Amino acid sequence: MRCARRSIARSARRRGAEIRNWLHKRREYSRSASEAPDTESGLASTNGVFTKCEGCGQPIYEKELKARFNVCPHCQFHYPLPAPERVRLLADEGSFSERDAGMTAGDPLGFEDYREKLESAHEKTGLDDAILSGVARIGGHPVALAAMDFRFIGGSMGSVVGERITRTVEAAHDGGLPLVIVSASGGARMYEGIYSLMQMAKTSVALSRYMTGSSPYVSVLTDPTFGGVTASFGTAADVVIAEPGARIGFAGARVIESTTKERLPEGFQTAEFQKEHGLVDRIVHRLELKDDLERFLGFLT
Amino acid sequence: MILEFEKPVRELEARIAELHRLAGPNAELQEEISRLEDALDAAKRRIYSNLTPYQRVQVARHPDRPDFDRYRDALADDFYELSGDRLGADDPAVRGGLAKIGSRSVVLLGHEKGDDVNSRVKSNFGMAHPEGYRKAGRLYDLAERLELPIVSLIDTPGAAPARAAEERGQAWAISADLMALARVPVPVVAVVIGEGGSGGALAMCLADHVVMLENSYLSVIAPEACASIIFRDEKRAPEAAEAMKITARDLLAHGIADEVLPEPLGGAHNEPEAAVEAVVRAIEGTLSKLSRLGPESLVKNRYERYRRIGTHVTEGEMAGTRGPGE
Repeated sequence: MRCARRSIARSARRRGAEIRNWLHKRREYSRSASEAPDTESGLASTNGVFTKCEGCGQPIYEKELKARFNVCPHCQFHYPLPAPERVRLLADEGSFSERDAGMTAGDPLGFEDYREKLESAHEKTGLDDAILSGVARIGGHPVALAAMDFRFIGGSMGSVVGERITRTVEAAHDGGLPLVIVSASGGARMYEGIYSLMQMAKTSVALSRYMTGSSPYVSVLTDPTFGGVTASFGTAADVVIAEPGARIGFAGARVIESTTKERLPEGFQTAEFQKEHGLVDRIVHRLELKDDLERFLGFLT
Repeated sequence: MILEFEKPVRELEARIAELHRLAGPNAELQEEISRLEDALDAAKRRIYSNLTPYQRVQVARHPDRPDFDRYRDALADDFYELSGDRLGADDPAVRGGLAKIGSRSVVLLGHEKGDDVNSRVKSNFGMAHPEGYRKAGRLYDLAERLELPIVSLIDTPGAAPARAAEERGQAWAISADLMALARVPVPVVAVVIGEGGSGGALAMCLADHVVMLENSYLSVIAPEACASIIFRDEKRAPEAAEAMKITARDLLAHGIADEVLPEPLGGAHNEPEAAVEAVVRAIEGTLSKLSRLGPESLVKNRYERYRRIGTHVTEGEMAGTRGPGE
């Protein structure tokens, strides 16, 4: 019993650390230093049980955060959601059947440190790569479902992500199933060089063929989704849904600022910004996402 | 412009020219000249036949390198230019239209980098905005409707990273091109003539046959950016260029490119006619081969070509790199 409690405490601590790491990354991405939170960590976790929300600064009970799929109960700030949790959020209970498990990345270029990166990402997440995929039911509707995981090397797309997305699309094609892909990705995985770029081509040929049929493809973009993922399967959908506040784009704000010296407006590349520019169909709160997908699928059956 | 590694060559050339000017009938100087010419020859061979990947990137970016206009003039007896994305803008970074190559009409398109300060700024150094990709997409549709092959000439540092590009859906425009090229039922031939920068290049080179000039490159990210992200030091770009395997020969070996065209010693800019001639021959040859395939086979082959690319390892299977050529 004590053992179990300790392991819960440990996992809560790890979880706090993960969010802090993520916030650290987020600060790196953010447009100016003035936006960074006041505290050093960006998230003042007192003892692993409470966390201070980046969105509103209020303390959040870790358990509550988990129960709300990483959405702040006070300000509704959406933190990244691990792929297994995403599947739990969307799939009808017990309906998810994973496909292509056990597929892992090769190291085609023998790139410095890549093996170590993969190992530590695997250790941290328990995943084979930055994706979970398979078939499931959403509100009773059978679908092919894939969810990306930003914790795994920034959700970057290498051969495994490309292959599992492609196989998911092909499963949807062969089974005449609706396709739902939830993205979270910094872009292509540089460690795989040209192979990562070519995953954009691979997923596109599969998707292009799928879309000659009459089953729908819904793309859900979460924070953050950029680069090779948005420039391929992420945006080539019948319906593009985004989570509130998610940053979505091709080039990151930092790259744009350093290349063009442009001042970027407040809220640049957020889901709301992209919707205003006619690029995103709907902004849907994470806790309403399953219902929203059910409603959409209901029109087509 | 003189690239750093070309300096010994350029210095020798200058000295030879100087001696020629002074020599007249002086036999002693003639001897010196021919000695220097031998040295020049040796230096050229030594330097140019051992270019590092990053040096090749620099050659690919050389401002005097033959560009879209140059190839278009050599390829096409007639080029009937078409402008605009039909949605409100025309992006000068992408050019396209109908071209007659030999007796064959094609849709020809490519990146425009410009050849002086004004035109370079106007074409944003070959970095297209969404309008450029939508113009390309519109030309793919036209090719399908008129049943004409597509020939694209790739030379871009990448898609424009800019506020305006993001506001108008850069990612959306590129993904739409990839989806269109995936299913267009006509032959698609792509030639990387200079820089092949990431998604901005891929949006025009998801093709049935990919030709690369010897000193061109195709990469998921610019070596400088890769170095700055992974090594946290932009100055390590040469290492990043090496590690990412971005040169034409590397990509041929990995089955991504189908054909590498040797360039004149020192690069295409040293002898543009020869480089252009090689590209013209390669395109004509490829078109005549692909024209024997029907629309279904073209699309099916293209599917399989890209479907195979990946280096994932499935439990129980051996690791292996699988490219389209294998």
